[in-house]
Parts: sequence; structure tokens; C-alpha cells
Amino acid sequence: MFRKTTFKLILAGILTFGTLSVGHAGTLESLERERANLLNIMLSGDIGMQERQSKLSAYQARLVDLERMVLRDKSLVGKNTPIVRSAFANYDLTFLVHASIEKDRLLMDHWFEQLGLTGQNILNTRVGRR
Amino acid sequence: MKTLRKNTASLIALVLLGSVSVTLVPQPAEAAKWTPRASEKLIKLPGDHLRRAVENDFRKSELASAISQADEKVGYKKSTLEDLKAALNKNAGADDEVQMDLEYQLIGEKQAYLSLARERQQLKRKKAKTRIRLYEKLLAKMTRKEASMSPQKAQLVEQQKQAQNRFQGSLGKIDTELMQSSVTSQSRYATEYAQNMAAIENLVAAINNHPMNQAPTVDGVQVTQADFVRNMIAQNQAEIALIDQEDMVLGYMAKLVSLDALALAENISVAENGADIVAVEEPKSTITSTVDLFISN
Repeated sequence: MFRKTTFKLILAGILTFGTLSVGHAGTLESLERERANLLNIMLSGDIGMQERQSKLSAYQARLVDLERMVLRDKSLVGKNTPIVRSAFANYDLTFLVHASIEKDRLLMDHWFEQLGLTGQNILNTRVGRR
Repeated sequence: MKTLRKNTASLIALVLLGSVSVTLVPQPAEAAKWTPRASEKLIKLPGDHLRRAVENDFRKSELASAISQADEKVGYKKSTLEDLKAALNKNAGADDEVQMDLEYQLIGEKQAYLSLARERQQLKRKKAKTRIRLYEKLLAKMTRKEASMSPQKAQLVEQQKQAQNRFQGSLGKIDTELMQSSVTSQSRYATEYAQNMAAIENLVAAINNHPMNQAPTVDGVQVTQADFVRNMIAQNQAEIALIDQEDMVLGYMAKLVSLDALALAENISVAENGADIVAVEEPKSTITSTVDLFISN
């Protein structure tokens, strides 16, 4: 009787430990989606300055949470898939909001800088034939 | 005297057997089995609980009951030897024939004791070897898990560690900036995350202090699970080394029994001939005594 109960208790213990390691999927996908929307607004020529700024602020707040969710997502640790590899290969581009605040830069400036589009670089360009 | 003659032949056979046993020829392997499995469940068990689980599994095996039976038999044989020795001491200086009979019996019982003790040693060796095999399998599984990381995955894990460090390092600054910003008030996620985190920290502290979650220790020093298993392998190897040494003791005991048997056989032979064998004197050299005959006057 006791043996049976002990076995059941151990099994329950193992199952509980198992559930602790189960992660939630999709945090990175959500972050990528939200970041794409933010970049879309950032680069959109159809909206005015005021509207762009307010939309960017709202997206920025959401991105802060999403970036933290990804960074705290244990299920992504060692998950060797192209999307995870590419996300962690460049912290500055994936965790855009955190990296820009860390570097004391505006979100837009930080993004352009990461792509190599600095004011100096643009000034150095010249018109030419392909 | 008739009995003594019979005994002489048996003693010679005993002496021969005794000399053979000194070389410790391995006996056929015992049928008693213990086949523990290096399961994933065992790997997950913390330190000392792993050792206990292995011992529990052993206790249920055929090998465990065979060892306990062998212990019992050796114990009985030891008390027989003690009784015979006491009888021999009691009879010392009395009847020679009874004394020799008792000595003969004692040698026979000693031989039987050695045979039983050797059997027990074999079972104990089997137990230690099986434990070593089990712990080695567990260790291999543990290290395989660690080594299974490809270079690409290792690089990813390293990048994730760096990202985590960078995030933790800048967290304070980012929170301050966000608090100052009028647009970004604390989100539901941030608020509830902080509350849950406090609860998680309490639970983690309780888990860390739980007696079933204590890290394995070796000589009072906390070690990793792999180090604990390595230590268990070393302990069992030490046990095998001690069994080897005990085998050597048994070998010397067997040698002594064969020498005792030889001495007893000689005593019986002397008793049968009625007197000690007198050394035959070598004839003196006669050549020098004839030298004079060759010298001419």
C-alpha cells in the first residue's frame, strides 16, 4: 500500500518538475511581428509627424514588454532554429527598444545606425550610373 | 589406526586441493543476477537519493539474497571451526588418535570455509562490478547530454547568455528612462511580472532549502551530480581492490591449510611406522682409506 502511494507520489513529483520546464511558444514571433509594424510606421511616408510619433510611442511600450518576454523565455534557450539564431545574432536589431535606450539614442537613429545609414554616410554618397 | 590410514589418503588429496586453491582459480560464475537499468528517472534523482535507489534495487535482486545466504553459510562454518578448535584445545595432550581425528576434521572444515568464503567474495565482486557498470552508464548519459551540443547550438547559447547579461546590465537604466517617459506607463505585463517574480523568488528559496533538493555532498563538500556519480564509481573500485586483497588472505589461508594437512599426514605416517624415520648415514668415502695401499714402501 505504502509502496504504491510512494510510487504515485514520485510520479506526481516528476510530472510537476516536467511542467516547470514547459515554455510558451510564440514570444519571438510576436516580437518580430510587432517590430515589423513599428518599422513600417517608422518608414511610412503616408502619415504625418505627429501621428507617427504617437504611434511609435505606443508600439515602443508594447515592444518593451515583448522584448522582455523573449529575453525571459526559457524555451528559447538553445533552441537551434533559424529564427532564434538570427534573433540572438544581433541584439541591437532584435531588442531594438532596449538597445536604443541603453545607448541613449532615439529609436529611429539607432535603427538607421545599425543598418549603416548615418548622416555622414548619406552625405558621403554620390549620384552615379549603375 | 585403520581410520588414520584412510585419513592419510584423504589428507594427501586435501593437500593437493589446498595447493590448487592457493592459485585462486576462478570458479564458474554464480547464477544469481542483478541487472539494474540506467534509466532517465535515476539520472534525475538528487545525489544521495540516487545511491539509495540503487541500493533498494539491489536489495530486491537475486544477487542480494545469494550474498545474504553466503554470509549466513560462512557464519555457520565459522562457528563450526570455533567449536572444533575448542574441542582440539580441550583434548590437547590426551588421546593421540582422537586428537588426530579432530585435526583432520578441522582441516576439512577449514577447506569448506575457504570454499564458501571464496564463493561469497565472488558474489561481492559481482555486486561491486555491477554497481560500477551502472554508475558508468549513468555518467555516460549525463556527459552525453552535455556534449551533444553542436558548435552552432553552443554559439547560440553563448549569444543568449550575452543577451541576457546585456539585458540585466541595462535593466535599471531602461526602467528609469521608461518611468520618466510620460507616454509609456507601466504595462500590465510589467506590473504583474514584478508581483509574480516576488512570489517566484519566495518559492525558489523554499525549493532551495527543501531537504529533498539538497545538492549532493562528498565528505561534506557540495558537488555536482556527475562528480557524485564519479565518487560512487571510485568507492566501488576501492571495494573491488579490498576484495582482491581479501582473496589474497584467503589464498594464504588455503596455503596454510595445505601445510597443516601435509604436517598431519606426516604425523599419521610416523604414528603408523611406530617411530620417527631415522636418517640413513651416508657411507664414508672409502677412496682415501685405500690411498695407503697405493703408496709403495
